[in-house]
Amino acid sequence: MTQTVAVTIAVNGQSITRTAGAHLTLLRWLRDAADITDPKYGCGEGVCGACTVLVDGEPTASCLVLAAQVDGAAVTTAAGLTRADGSLNPLQQEFHAHHAAQCGFCTPGMLMAATAMLADGRTRTRAQIREDLHGNLCRCTGYGPIVDAVEAAQERARDSSAAHHGPAGNGSARNGSARDGDAR
Amino acid sequence: MFIRPFRFERAERLADACELLRQHGEDAKIIAGGQSLMPMINLGLVQPDVVIDISRAVGERDLTSADGYLRAGALVTHARLAADPLVRQAQPLLSTAASRIGNARVRSRGTLGGSLAHSDPAAELPVVMMALGASYELTDGRGTREVRAEDFHVTFLTTALEPDEVVLSVRLPVLGPGWGWSFLEVSRRHGDFAIASVAALVRLAGGVVVESRVAAGGVSGRAVRLADVETGLTGAAPDQIGERVGELQGIQPLSDAAASDTYRAHLARVLVTRALTEASQRSAVAA
Amino acid sequence: MTADVRGSATLAGSGIRTSKEDELRIVRQPLARADQAEKIAGSTRYAGDLAFTGMLHARLVRAPLPSARIVRRDATDAFAVPGVVCVLFGEDVPHNVVWVDVPGQTVAVAALKASMEVLATNRIRFHGEPVALVVAETEDALAEACDLVEVDYEDLPGVYGLDEALADGAPAVHEQGNLLGEWRIDTGDVTAAFDGADVVVSGSYETQFVDHAYLEPEAGVGWIDDDGVLTLRVATQVVEHYRDVARILGVAESKVRVIAPYVGGGFGGKEDMTVEPYLALAVMRTRRPVRMQWTRQESLLARPKRHRMRLRYSTAARRDGTIVGQDIDITADSGAYAYLSALVLLYSSVHACGPYRVDNVRLRARCAYTNNPPTSAFRGFGGMQVVFGYESQIDLLAREIGISPEEIRKRNALVRGDVLPVGQEILTEVQLSQTIDAVTGRAGPLPSPSGPRKAVGRGIASNIQSYGRLVWLNDSAAAWVGFQLDGSLSVRCGVPDIGGGQASSLAQIASEVLGVPMAAITVHFGDSALTPLAGTTTATRQLLMSGNAAYEASVLLRDGVFGAVAAELGCPAEGLSLDGDQVTGGPVAVSLREALMICRRRNVPIEALGTFFGPKGMPVVRDLHAERVFPDFTFGTHLCDVEVDLDTGQVELLCYLAAHDVGRAINPLSVHGQISGAAAQGLGMALLEEVVVADGVNLTGGFFQYLIPASTDLPEIESIVLESGEGMGPFGARGIGEPPIGPPAAAVASAIQDAIGARPTVLPITPEHVLDCLRASGRAGSPG
Repeated sequence: MTQTVAVTIAVNGQSITRTAGAHLTLLRWLRDAADITDPKYGCGEGVCGACTVLVDGEPTASCLVLAAQVDGAAVTTAAGLTRADGSLNPLQQEFHAHHAAQCGFCTPGMLMAATAMLADGRTRTRAQIREDLHGNLCRCTGYGPIVDAVEAAQERARDSSAAHHGPAGNGSARNGSARDGDAR
Repeated sequence: MFIRPFRFERAERLADACELLRQHGEDAKIIAGGQSLMPMINLGLVQPDVVIDISRAVGERDLTSADGYLRAGALVTHARLAADPLVRQAQPLLSTAASRIGNARVRSRGTLGGSLAHSDPAAELPVVMMALGASYELTDGRGTREVRAEDFHVTFLTTALEPDEVVLSVRLPVLGPGWGWSFLEVSRRHGDFAIASVAALVRLAGGVVVESRVAAGGVSGRAVRLADVETGLTGAAPDQIGERVGELQGIQPLSDAAASDTYRAHLARVLVTRALTEASQRSAVAA
Repeated sequence: MTADVRGSATLAGSGIRTSKEDELRIVRQPLARADQAEKIAGSTRYAGDLAFTGMLHARLVRAPLPSARIVRRDATDAFAVPGVVCVLFGEDVPHNVVWVDVPGQTVAVAALKASMEVLATNRIRFHGEPVALVVAETEDALAEACDLVEVDYEDLPGVYGLDEALADGAPAVHEQGNLLGEWRIDTGDVTAAFDGADVVVSGSYETQFVDHAYLEPEAGVGWIDDDGVLTLRVATQVVEHYRDVARILGVAESKVRVIAPYVGGGFGGKEDMTVEPYLALAVMRTRRPVRMQWTRQESLLARPKRHRMRLRYSTAARRDGTIVGQDIDITADSGAYAYLSALVLLYSSVHACGPYRVDNVRLRARCAYTNNPPTSAFRGFGGMQVVFGYESQIDLLAREIGISPEEIRKRNALVRGDVLPVGQEILTEVQLSQTIDAVTGRAGPLPSPSGPRKAVGRGIASNIQSYGRLVWLNDSAAAWVGFQLDGSLSVRCGVPDIGGGQASSLAQIASEVLGVPMAAITVHFGDSALTPLAGTTTATRQLLMSGNAAYEASVLLRDGVFGAVAAELGCPAEGLSLDGDQVTGGPVAVSLREALMICRRRNVPIEALGTFFGPKGMPVVRDLHAERVFPDFTFGTHLCDVEVDLDTGQVELLCYLAAHDVGRAINPLSVHGQISGAAAQGLGMALLEEVVVADGVNLTGGFFQYLIPASTDLPEIESIVLESGEGMGPFGARGIGEPPIGPPAAAVASAIQDAIGARPTVLPITPEHVLDCLRASGRAGSPG
């Protein structure tokens, strides 16, 4: 008989417990057990990046990790970037402004890859943005508008950081759930 | 999506994983970062009965340096190998190769031990280990043994691990004074498994090569150290490296959808020359 | 249709529409699309995202070999798996056949009537052909049960090569033989043209099997709704497949409904049915909601691909570069079933001479059945493979004669009034030369090579691509536009939105005509029961078809409101205008709400249905000659800079420019998106992508092997939009969804030739192929 396990994950700040098959990937657990469908299934191989989420702040292919492995973790999906009132966060706003989504299927994963990338506060060139997003495939845009959006979001974070901290500010706007090193 | 159900066991320590492996036999698989195992499970290429999770096991997450050697625990992630100041300083060949693995997701979850135990001939880390003459500490939970990289990697997805053994740590020499290094790889699409990859180390003295180490990945069932090339290089000036590197000996490239055997062999030879040249340039700067 | 609205005019009878940009207020604005916010917020529910309580799951068992006979099927063990609800074979399908010439989808061409089974009962013709449908309570049960469906096969000889398939005595894939379709063009006197030519260049070119590789694999959910209607919510480009489903089930068309939510990419791959018949069978058998999601690997294995083609060209020209004759032979691999192959090949034939005037043409085009994966619609639809042929030829010619690639193209460029070899006259303005000037003017100097063993080069490629469906298909689209009492606006149209902004464009068109702000317009789309049918989102037709329908509905609605206001106030309707809040004209000014109340009091509808009928023409026969085949065409030119590594054969794309005349850019964001996205897809085909098939066995097992370009594989792609203000779509728009996928492969090949002196002729252009070219040109170095 299929072994089931109770797994508790804080998804976008809300603790969710589901008892489901022990063999479920985090992606299936989110989509089928918890009805959180913004992480998408695109390949099951870890290649396309449509299922990218943050697990304790780290970018993760949710199709390549078992839900049971991350019991107790904090998971952020693209829907978790959206504010409670439905409005978009600055990165999402730049995606919107730059027409960075067409069919939109890669978008949730792309947003999470970009969020993970921007979390270190480093300023990247366009080439470096492309480099750090190469694990997320898009079939519609040709990537230019996505790079535009991420570049603009980076600019915005730097401006607001400079405004808040002055020139000495470290520019880091880390996601709240980010963790250091291998604390686990 | 359509995975045959399996049992899930969590090992608190790596030693416990070995006990679980003995309990469940060959239908059990170890999972750490899952970056190699999970694609195979999702594609139905592996159908384990039991999956033993070591991703939260205690220990083997340390990086230490002593007596000219770097020791890395099996559960150290690629991201950490790439970014840790100790690795970057002590063995930049390793940190650079780790930074080229897959993408940010693979690096954040994938582990050193997992990559070595998977033993893909096109993967970055085994090539580096072969070039460096690294050795791996293995355990069956009751004791440990040390195996050299070239004895560990047998052939495609096959290692010297006994059915109840796991990789505990890796021991490799730190970059010695005057050495230069290089890691080069080519894939059809950026970030994919390489068609061919090369790790090289060169030490120049008096403007000529006095010592070198070079290994190639993707051109045999396992990463291979190219001893003939190393021997033939001694006494060469950096600009003579190209003419000293002949047809590569001891490689057995395969043809597949990504490349033919002849192209792999050709590409490996080009990359060997380029990597040795780059390494010698770094050596010249270091000296 | 001769209504003249501000900013848009129709030239009587021709179907050509024009507009002046300074008279447009909403059209041409780069407005964020209505679909964007929800997609970016992560809240859009795609076809596979919907779940019902008590929902079942369905999965197909597919043949593991390419050519075989089924000798035994046994579902006993599979059915015994706990949770399995049913296992269906072909005998369980009421009408186990999918016809290729289903009315409303395609018509019989070249006397073609072809069919395939929904579930194979006897003959297996390709690796991955569906044999059984398993339905279970859980996906886990499916995983187990599908492995336990026992099917025994007897291997049969298959045919896998084009020449092999068409040779005498080849094993027949279908009883009627392996020649599926054939087209010919004979125009002018080709023999005389070649005899009298100063220069003749010849070449043979090969294109590969390509997968659409949309990020969203095929998926859908089906249920029987409260009205008793079988309802399928699926990722599709064609909600009209409800008719095919009804035919398979043997029920009335009114008892089946297909809903297309936002689709995660189509590119032609969701034009034929995917999950629809299987979901329908599972729902009807179980009377419960069912979900079917194909895995990526299943999608790569079994969905139809882009046609592999072999193109042979001989081109005759005068010393000054004027092309005087083309002799063309095209062979295409149709794979195991007909699907849309005959029409794809027709597109290849009509577009085969490119955007150039050629008076003497001989064309022979054939497509052959093989036991390879089936091939069907894919962005560019046969009109794009031939670009690799004709643009390679014109570059060879330019080199042979010693004039520039720009000059030879301009010298031969079609102009309005020219007649294509098939017989169709070009009715609208052709801005081909302007697109050439646009890319060459925009490109900076070619950079220097980055190292001693590197070479750089530049190439350009132009193309012509039709928009709108074949003129004998009686194409039509309908759209409904209605005011709400608060002055907001609802648009209902059956258009499926596959990511190109198809729905949002309708809002922008209605907003232009009615002055209602975009934020106050909602578009309901893609429902075969509740939205007026608009036809397929294929063939670059939706802006032309549903766009014109929405335009006409908006004009009807506006004129109705004006008529009511004029009657109420006793003023002439002609001088009235509507800005979304107010109806004004001379001394008249009433609020929109008041105007709507006037309509209601006077029994004037505040809604309108617009139906647009595409241009009509006679069907073609095998020997092609027609006054009209397509409504119209879009033209463009791309420019590409590459750097080639002379030792490894690697090609790096340095710069990419793409210019097209889009007539009128309804939403420039969507237009730029279509151009850069299609260019990217074309570049993937040029350098990376191939579905590898060996003796019928599909070896491409996943996304780790099917290489669609990542962000680092592509350069910055700059799209340049020209607006002639003239086309067949609303406000003079031309279709732009497909055209930009044509030039990239040829542009890259030209740039490589410029860099290394030899031209790649086989796609994809792998590093190995480049090394072969280098050897041919004597520029291959030693590995050192």
